[in-house]
Amino acid sequence: MDTAISVQAVTKRYGALVAVDDVTLDIPRGRTVALLGPNGAGKSTTVAMLMGLTEPDTGSVTVGDRPPRAAVAAGGIAAMLQDSGLMPGVTVAELIELGRRLYPAPLSTAEALELAGLTTLSRRRVDRLSGGQAQRVKFALVAVANPETMLLDEPTRALDVQGRREFWTAMRAYTASGRTVLFATHYLEEVEENADRVVVMARGRIVADGTPAELRTGAGSAIVRFRLPVDAARPVLPGTVTVDDGWVTVRTDDPDAAVRALASGPHRWQDLSVIPPSLDDSFLRLTTEEPR
Amino acid sequence: MTWYYFRLECLRMLRDPRYLAMAVITPVGFYLLFATIFGKDPAKPGELKGTIEIMVAMAAYGGIWGALSATGPRIAHERSSGWLEQLRSMPLATRQVMAAKLAAGMVVALPALLLVCATGAAFKGVGLDAWQWAAMAAAMWVGCLPFALLGIAIGYAVGGETAFPLSYAVYLAMSILGGLWVPPSVLPASFRTVADALPTYRLADLGWHIAGGGAPAAADVAVLAGWTVGLGLLATWVYRRPRRSAAAAA
Repeated sequence: MDTAISVQAVTKRYGALVAVDDVTLDIPRGRTVALLGPNGAGKSTTVAMLMGLTEPDTGSVTVGDRPPRAAVAAGGIAAMLQDSGLMPGVTVAELIELGRRLYPAPLSTAEALELAGLTTLSRRRVDRLSGGQAQRVKFALVAVANPETMLLDEPTRALDVQGRREFWTAMRAYTASGRTVLFATHYLEEVEENADRVVVMARGRIVADGTPAELRTGAGSAIVRFRLPVDAARPVLPGTVTVDDGWVTVRTDDPDAAVRALASGPHRWQDLSVIPPSLDDSFLRLTTEEPR
Repeated sequence: MTWYYFRLECLRMLRDPRYLAMAVITPVGFYLLFATIFGKDPAKPGELKGTIEIMVAMAAYGGIWGALSATGPRIAHERSSGWLEQLRSMPLATRQVMAAKLAAGMVVALPALLLVCATGAAFKGVGLDAWQWAAMAAAMWVGCLPFALLGIAIGYAVGGETAFPLSYAVYLAMSILGGLWVPPSVLPASFRTVADALPTYRLADLGWHIAGGGAPAAADVAVLAGWTVGLGLLATWVYRRPRRSAAAAA
């Protein structure tokens, strides 16, 4: 089977709260999928069920055709959890060595430290790390497991912009070898840059599923902008055209058609730019819609 | 391997200055102080010399804190810091984690216990037979087990902020009432009754019997075994008690 993660009709309640509501999700091997959604959307509960930390009330979860706990034990899946901490009083290298010894087919400790950019910090006590460094240690604990599938629950939370960039650079190098990654995040630019598929959750349900581009398109109009000589006639293009001091703005659901029409037409246009609908808009619209 | 986890648990304890100060240096210091003040009188017939009696009491005092502090405050802290959650996401069962912590608590109890004995032998002229030293250390070491179990119960019962003061308060109260500071023989009868029921007193009494050249009293063994079973059940119950899952927040 080529399915890394399979979630079938899963519901999970905590008392009166329905944390995950009849969710079905299949992720093929080798994909990097973003799980997007506001707080309380059910992302962390989904991650917890994929790790076997909590059981679904109904439905089934399998990871690489195994039940989650078996997959964890076999090193098939490893996670950076949102609320996890590190063992105090030991060094970074000792902690990663612990991880190495727990998994059946691990990387070497040195490799995992290298991947996480921790080589120079290997002898530092875990309690004396900065937030960003601690986050990299958590990543190294995942990397050392050498898992087919990685779950990252808001891996860059509490990191600054530089830290986020470094984290994703390390991650891309790591996933280039065909691993499956499911990451939950709040940061939309991380989705754009790192995911080939986006699953949006809200109120325990999946409300959208597609490529970042598809989601953006769902958000509505793109904008095509260009300049015309001041004396030029107002162009006729698919979309809503406004002209202001030589600058033409076309709002359109189909920017490709607008650009084709422009290019094949008679206009002497300059400085063309196409502004895609923003994922932020799309995200906001999807997650704030009233439940049906 | 769980073995490596157990090793790390021991290592971090031995690196902790608070452990060294409270479980190792404090009992040795108190022993030197008390043995110097109260240890001069020659032993009355049928009683231990002061230097020996206090040595056993302080060895128990050190060993108990080693076992209790390695489990209680640490488990509570790791529950709130998320390390136990991290471990749950790795191929290591919680019962293996607890077994390793229990074993580590026992390991770090040993230096605390042995150092007081070594101080007695080296500086206070305590001369016991080799078998007495060995039997006393072994018996008292095993007798530290209920305190490591008590630590697990505390660690799962209360939060990271409370666990340390609570453990320490329980430790002090049981030590005082159990006659580790003042021998129960000089206290009123009601205190004696309380002491008789406490594992702290029974642990010291185990050592006193062996240091006196006799076999351990059956009552000591029975009471300590009772506490071990009782606290083991308590720890299991507290651990299994339903708790609000961390995942419920999201």
